[in-house]
Amino acid sequence: MAAEHAAAVHDPNIGCTGLDHRKMGMWAFLGSECMFFGSLIGTYLAYKGKSINGPGPHEILNIPLTSVSAFVLLMSSLLMVLALAAVQRNDMKWGKIWLFMTAVLGAGFVGFQIYEFTHFVHSGLTLQTNLFGSTFFVLTGFHGAHVTGGVIWLLAMWVLAVRGKLGPQDSLKVEICGLYWHFVDIVWIVIFALIYLIP
Amino acid sequence: MDSSHSAHAAATHDGGHASVQTYIRVAVVLAILTAIEIGALYVPGLPKHILVTLIIIFGSLKFALVVAFFMHLRYDNKLLTVLFVGPLIIATAIILVIMALFSAFLLLARG
Repeated sequence: MAAEHAAAVHDPNIGCTGLDHRKMGMWAFLGSECMFFGSLIGTYLAYKGKSINGPGPHEILNIPLTSVSAFVLLMSSLLMVLALAAVQRNDMKWGKIWLFMTAVLGAGFVGFQIYEFTHFVHSGLTLQTNLFGSTFFVLTGFHGAHVTGGVIWLLAMWVLAVRGKLGPQDSLKVEICGLYWHFVDIVWIVIFALIYLIP
Repeated sequence: MDSSHSAHAAATHDGGHASVQTYIRVAVVLAILTAIEIGALYVPGLPKHILVTLIIIFGSLKFALVVAFFMHLRYDNKLLTVLFVGPLIIATAIILVIMALFSAFLLLARG
């Protein structure tokens, strides 16, 4: 206990709770993001089935394609924890590989979403077409923007690792990046279930 | 650097992360749950209320697995759980209240 306290005194990042400020800050941020996405999901569900004109979700959503992209994002979460585990055990070779592969899968997910959005616009569904278009594009668009931010963050971590500026002493940085990445994954788990799978 | 490292170790109550084998097992379970979720859509004659219940249960399980194991909340300080689960409850309440206000439950039931 005394040793923990002494160690905490030397590290300005450790607060009176005994937790790292950066990690606590990230969890608090993720909590606020829950409420942000909660309001967008609630709005989508509230307006579900209330569009006056089409196209509606059953006419336009491509479940097989989105299932693949959901699986890609889910597996990127596995690669993210493998990257963290590799960095923690100072296996930087695999740390770099997993970080880069996580970013690649994330970019793949964004690519699927760009294809989906383009296809929808060509099929006559835009942000202004109907209530479904407005709520769908705002919700999935904000999620896609979060994924894009995560990909940029992952690539930044990878560049640091390639330059030798990321080691096991920085594992908390990778962990915090991972927390954000897993969060965009769990948001997609909810969006995929509520919007794509529930008829 | 060392003192900072040990401070962090002490601060996060670790070495509390799961093993690589556990991560892989969790990923396999997540993949199976996703396959069942999607497969349920193609089961002919499955009543809608059972389909919706299955999707919500499997979706919640996947959510919990990622948060508990990949985000390490199962192994981390309980304060972090409070920081996340508190707003999550509020978010769920927001969804339910907005749906109730707009009678969305009735529309979902009608299909």
